[in-house]
Amino acid sequence: MRRSYFLLVAVIAVAGCAARAHAQGNYEIQVYGADTVPPQSTMIELHSNFTADGQKHFIDGVAPTNHAEHETIEITQGINSWSEVGFYIFTSEQSGTGVQWVGDHIRPRVRVPDGWRWPVGVSLSTEVGYQRAFFDRDTWTWEIRPIVDKTAGRWYFAVNPALERTWHGPDVNLGIDFSPAVKISYDFTKQISGGIEYYADYGSITNIASLHNQQQQIFPAIDLNVSPKWEINFGVGVGPTAATDHWIVKGIVGRRFDWGRQKNP
Amino acid sequence: MGSKVNTNQVDLRRAPGSSVFDRREFLHGAAMASVGALLRSPPANSAGGQPEKIPDFKIEIVETEWELSPKKKIRTAAYNGQIPGPLLRLTEGEPVTIEIVNRLDREQIVHWHGQWIPPDVDGAMEEGSPMISAGSRSLITFVPKPTGLHWYHTHTAAHRDLKRGLYSGQLGPLVVEPKENPARYDQEQFLVLHDWEPYFMTSDDGSQMVDYIIASINGRMLGHDEPIRVREGQRVLFHILNASATVAHWLALPQHRFQVVALDGRPVPTQAQVDTLRLGPAERVSAIVSMNAPGVWVLSEPRAKFREAGMGTVIEYANATGEAQAPASTNLQWHYQVFADPKPAIYKPDVTIPLVFTSKFEGHGALDRWMINGKSFPATDPILLHEGRRHRLIFDNRSTDDHPVHLHRHAFELVSFAKTPTSGVYKDVVVVPAGSMVEVDLVADNPGNTLFHCHQQDHMDSGFMALFRYA
Repeated sequence: MRRSYFLLVAVIAVAGCAARAHAQGNYEIQVYGADTVPPQSTMIELHSNFTADGQKHFIDGVAPTNHAEHETIEITQGINSWSEVGFYIFTSEQSGTGVQWVGDHIRPRVRVPDGWRWPVGVSLSTEVGYQRAFFDRDTWTWEIRPIVDKTAGRWYFAVNPALERTWHGPDVNLGIDFSPAVKISYDFTKQISGGIEYYADYGSITNIASLHNQQQQIFPAIDLNVSPKWEINFGVGVGPTAATDHWIVKGIVGRRFDWGRQKNP
Repeated sequence: MGSKVNTNQVDLRRAPGSSVFDRREFLHGAAMASVGALLRSPPANSAGGQPEKIPDFKIEIVETEWELSPKKKIRTAAYNGQIPGPLLRLTEGEPVTIEIVNRLDREQIVHWHGQWIPPDVDGAMEEGSPMISAGSRSLITFVPKPTGLHWYHTHTAAHRDLKRGLYSGQLGPLVVEPKENPARYDQEQFLVLHDWEPYFMTSDDGSQMVDYIIASINGRMLGHDEPIRVREGQRVLFHILNASATVAHWLALPQHRFQVVALDGRPVPTQAQVDTLRLGPAERVSAIVSMNAPGVWVLSEPRAKFREAGMGTVIEYANATGEAQAPASTNLQWHYQVFADPKPAIYKPDVTIPLVFTSKFEGHGALDRWMINGKSFPATDPILLHEGRRHRLIFDNRSTDDHPVHLHRHAFELVSFAKTPTSGVYKDVVVVPAGSMVEVDLVADNPGNTLFHCHQQDHMDSGFMALFRYA
């Protein structure tokens, strides 16, 4: 149960606004849980996101998102019982441009081992990467994402108060963005969980954007726990603010491969 | 009462060559004797007006700080302030009186696991044994039977408090001396396995389970106890008890094999030799190892995770030096059938009782609810036994977990394991693998309420229990 939300980092300025307003490229829409992939295991996920109603025009040379199909391959390798490294390949398909490579990110992550017996799961992820200017004016970005989660009976809670920074691009001087993500879900059965995922980008931590210019997105989502080796998530998101794509359909399919791990008899 | 004295002077009738409880027990015994003299005895539970019997053994349940290694101390409840509790050597057929003093701030009960004794002293309140309230004491008398390696332990629930029940140190070995030993041996060693510092985690199948950070043999992590010293040519009889609350353990000794002579204290018809032993929670194995490979070896869990957590002890031959060699985690196989009669007897049961094990999901953040025949204890119907009759119990495990199921006050005979007929193996705990069926025969010969349950603490706490009653 790993979640993140890339490209809320894709922040573009709108002329005349004091704070940044935000266009978005929705490549990985996921709230991270605190667990990491076990050692000697590899998780391969495909994130498929379709923007049904999004930005319809080029803004400062950045491609619109409306009717864009974003496919992201995420490969995560477990290092030990408390760390992993993830690698992303972002692509976009859109009428008129065809299939395009967007960029790549790398994301190391560490977590508090289970053995510490903390009452909540805690991990810390950092993500660095490049995306082409055609899809994001800020080509090099960095994110640090604390992750806290808790499972209590049938309820699951996760919060990711992420901080983002542009390393190369027009927003390099705008400081650090605050982009929280939250998930609450309920186990209807052992296999089916449903809940709400919330993603936002409030703009710079020193200069919070107006509500109009913030990104706010809410996804009713379903997780299917059909097997420990599979991860399946599906949701439909609505973005009520002007800076947010208004309708996005997202899906995640993941498969874990264990390389030589011994099962405990 | 002959030579039996209270347990502050432990195992005075130890067999020659037995060493595992020597120095530490003596020190703890001496310390506890001093402390005990300062403590005023609380009132007994025994009936008033009767002259009180002089106890043969005394078990004090106390909070103690225990050193698993110089760097790892734990605080837990334990018997006589030691882990494991003192080895109790009883004699078959000779009545024994045991005083149990509960120094904790909560009620307790001690179960005499594997003994065929009346329900009022068996130590399970579900059968009718009285709880020992906080700060009070109890005096019980029973006639030990059957012979072999058994144990005593708390029979309280823990639920989500991982300091209670069998997650604590309330456990100890008990051996009932047979008139004749099933095998010839030069040295006898008792090994008690346990896991420590438990925590909840989500298992691979999405349900919660308990995992541990530390493991020990005889209350010590690997490398922090005296080695077991042997001589070439010796036959060492190991009495091994898995007192873990939830984990099945394997044991292996490089370059040596185990000749299994008894399971759950009962001699087996075929003393097969095996490379590894597997013990589900509460299972016991008595096995002889012929010491014929001089060196320094680690008798331990072959799985690195558990060995690194501390589950192991060093076997050191006389005059051997060098680094101790640990077993590899390969070829972990265990089949009860190899210890059975070569030609299985075919029995015709008088009564057949199917027992279907299932679970109910309660959320990824909760323990599953466990059921026998669709009902979860205590909301269950009693299962009727008929005295003198042969009952075939069909354990039908439809869950995704293995279950070490235990029947109190009786032993049963394995008659079918994974559809293979078998006979001659008598046990009081059998591990029923996930998705499989095991059949056992129970001849009902010990009237009274009889508890049946999974010996995994988290499972029994979550309803995996049933009460058998004699019709």
